[in-house]
Amino acid sequence: MKSTFANIVSSLPADYADLRFEENRKIRIGYEGKELTEVATTLTSGGHVRVYAHGGKAISSFSDPGKAGPIADATCTSAILVGNSRDKKLRVASAPVITEDFLITPVRDPRTVSLKEKLDLTAHYNDIILQNPHVITTQTMYDEFTSRRIFVNSDGSIIEYELINVGVFGMIVTKKGSVVQRVRFAFGGNTDFSPLLGREEDVRKQITKAVELLDAEPAKAGIFPVVLDPSESGVFIHEAFGHLSEADGLQNNPSFRAKLQLGITLGKPILNVTDDATLPGLPGSYEIDDEGVRGMRTPLITRGVLSGRMHSRETAAEFGEPLSGNMRAVDVQCTPIVRMSNILIEAGDSTFDDMVRSIDNGYYLVGAKGGQTSGDQFTFGAQWGYRIVNGQLGNMVRDINMSGELFSTLQATSMIGDDVRFGERGGCGKGGGGPMQMNRKSGKGSPHIKIDAVTIGGI
Amino acid sequence: MHPLLENAKRTVDQAEMYWNQSHSIVVRYENYRLQQVTENDVSEASLRVIQNGKIGSAYAVFPNQEGFLDNAVTGAQYGDPVSYSFAGKADYPKLDNYSEATAQLKSSDLIEVCESIKTKLQKQLPDVALGIGASCERSELTIQTTQGANATSKSTGASFYFGAPFKGAGVGVFKSRSGIAPQVADGALLDEFITWYNWGNQSSTPSTGRLPVILAPEAAFLMMMPLLAGVSGEAAWKKTSPLTQRLGEKILSDKLTIYENPLLAGNTDARAFDDEGVPCAKRAIVERGILKEFLFDQRVGAAMSTPSTGNGFKRTMFGSGNETSISPWFCCPTIEPGDTSWHDIVKGIKEGLLITNGMGFHSGNFPQGQFAVQAVGFHIINGAVVGRLDKTMISGNIYQDCLDVAAVSRDVGLCSGFLPLGTAPYVLIDSLQVAGK
Repeated sequence: MKSTFANIVSSLPADYADLRFEENRKIRIGYEGKELTEVATTLTSGGHVRVYAHGGKAISSFSDPGKAGPIADATCTSAILVGNSRDKKLRVASAPVITEDFLITPVRDPRTVSLKEKLDLTAHYNDIILQNPHVITTQTMYDEFTSRRIFVNSDGSIIEYELINVGVFGMIVTKKGSVVQRVRFAFGGNTDFSPLLGREEDVRKQITKAVELLDAEPAKAGIFPVVLDPSESGVFIHEAFGHLSEADGLQNNPSFRAKLQLGITLGKPILNVTDDATLPGLPGSYEIDDEGVRGMRTPLITRGVLSGRMHSRETAAEFGEPLSGNMRAVDVQCTPIVRMSNILIEAGDSTFDDMVRSIDNGYYLVGAKGGQTSGDQFTFGAQWGYRIVNGQLGNMVRDINMSGELFSTLQATSMIGDDVRFGERGGCGKGGGGPMQMNRKSGKGSPHIKIDAVTIGGI
Repeated sequence: MHPLLENAKRTVDQAEMYWNQSHSIVVRYENYRLQQVTENDVSEASLRVIQNGKIGSAYAVFPNQEGFLDNAVTGAQYGDPVSYSFAGKADYPKLDNYSEATAQLKSSDLIEVCESIKTKLQKQLPDVALGIGASCERSELTIQTTQGANATSKSTGASFYFGAPFKGAGVGVFKSRSGIAPQVADGALLDEFITWYNWGNQSSTPSTGRLPVILAPEAAFLMMMPLLAGVSGEAAWKKTSPLTQRLGEKILSDKLTIYENPLLAGNTDARAFDDEGVPCAKRAIVERGILKEFLFDQRVGAAMSTPSTGNGFKRTMFGSGNETSISPWFCCPTIEPGDTSWHDIVKGIKEGLLITNGMGFHSGNFPQGQFAVQAVGFHIINGAVVGRLDKTMISGNIYQDCLDVAAVSRDVGLCSGFLPLGTAPYVLIDSLQVAGK
């Protein structure tokens, strides 16, 4: 099959072409409260072809590998149509030709674990949550994704590679009177089944927080200094800065492209941010991206100065910047888009206590609860928080969403802790001009950080 | 009967097959330039089986997969007991959601749609980073069960969008249209885009406090998503809904009447049957502020001893389609229009906000009716827009703040944003908490 696909892309009258063929398997086990709602397996196979011709680009997904040739031909015709309409031609940067396989050997391979063991494990954690009298329902999910992919391109690369991602995650829902609160939990998130075992205490800690939140006070609306825990600051750097470092988002946005020239100062010299696919055992770790480029470490901010960004071969050519190996597609129906691997705020030298002591009236915000970004505007939530009054942690607060603007917020990042932690479960939703692709393989890491002013939405 | 179902029938007690085949074309312009043409052929299927009283499921994309039935049967070995059967034979309402003209569209036709938008806007907004897209899709969905359900729908959809960030800003204006038939941008829509874009040349931040807020149709999801979470039969069953035990009570302003409107003519998300093969029907969910009905699929209906309302859909907040588990969802929610022009609503406001989007909605505690989002839209002072909102959040709880609605416009637009496409007017809420200066 590899040689057939390689011949197809090489014979096209194209500037560049590639083809990815996948066989994917997902296993999903879900509990909601006492009810086992799902034990399901998904099988996916098919191909995706991308063609650059006459400076234009076209893409297609298809099911039958036997039809790959005619579909590639039709895609090439569409690319020529696009190219002939463009004054500014699209092209791809040159990349090393790779003829190597990248298969994964986890410590304990989830593919070898029985469905019964996965089901029992999910039920075990769900039962622990249900034992608490304040819990009214749960969502406990086992989620496994394995993919075997063939990639060929017209440069001569022929690669076979695997992706694995396995985790347990869910939601604890507690109630007291009319107050209902939700706290998330997650573990696993990489290629190995082993970290899913023995996590009872981690689940119990989250149950405790979900119960404590029932007596917490809602956050007050206004502008406050905040300390973010590593989970929250990981989401902050992912949402607020990371997405603006993905070159496909900047490619056609002249004003942000002008604002984000390499070499500009974005933050204080204490701020260092990196995207790193080579860190072992994290959600966004991989050997090769879905454009046949090796995953790598890319410094994005160095001592407060913008020093790099994440690219496709197309954007690297357009920006005249180095390849970064960040092109990824969640499955065969999707074209690769530029995505963070593991984004990280590197350690500083402040302590958590230093940060809290420096605030008279603010908040300590804990636990990522998702976020959203548009250009330089970002919003994200916290699972719970605490008032900070006169340099000391105070009462617990709930229902917290915060927002801000990237450039002023990076400048307002005034203290960076020495305690880097990565979230176990990755996740990122991005469309990149197409349908939303929910990517599990996106890691976020950070120490505690202090931001001098963010807007809190509250009562 | 489909061969897949025939095969399943020989092996299990009951089976349900969902099979969707679609062909889509998308053209995308960035910065007034044609960027990419995408063409996809997708076949996807799901199979649910009941064996010895237990349910199992399997999904496949591009399904010529060995083991598809085996996976569903294996799931049933471990699955929970079920207290319902798959849908039986039914008469489905007539729904015309196919246009041969849309089915015949080619990429060159879509390029023509985009070029007409480009030509009109480039003259007036030449320096704007305008993105334009147009798409068409034809699909055939079949749901069959061993219990006799046989639902088939051939449908088409065509749509376009265009939008641009305000100069130097992270947010902007976005307009779209969609329908069963081929779509063309009319002059009024383009003029509205230009007006809104020019409103955003200046930024403005209101003071922190309570202010009147207009939710534009594009932002109706801020009210509708919490409502959906509240009227989900599943939330009522699990007692997580703040509306449990409130059927027949006033939950919103008496100016608000909200329908589940799956047969909405011309709407690309309209459906004659849900994803379990149960017929869909128009239902009043909230009538003049009074809660009238919860939504059920078959599983939740059985748990609550009530029939499915035909609202079992493969949707979640962040996705839809084959692999998604079935749960009770809106199909095409609509808010009934009022009798005021939305321009007059704006003119009557001393200081307030016109909200066109809310960022970070999903991070909030919306199942309880709450929202706290970064406000995207415009600042109104003395009946006129003074600029786009900047550094502003709005927050509230729909079951408290939407009790007091001052006006509902007669103008309606498409509402989406996490929801299937519906329609909504402009809704003026008396006051919401605003975090600004």
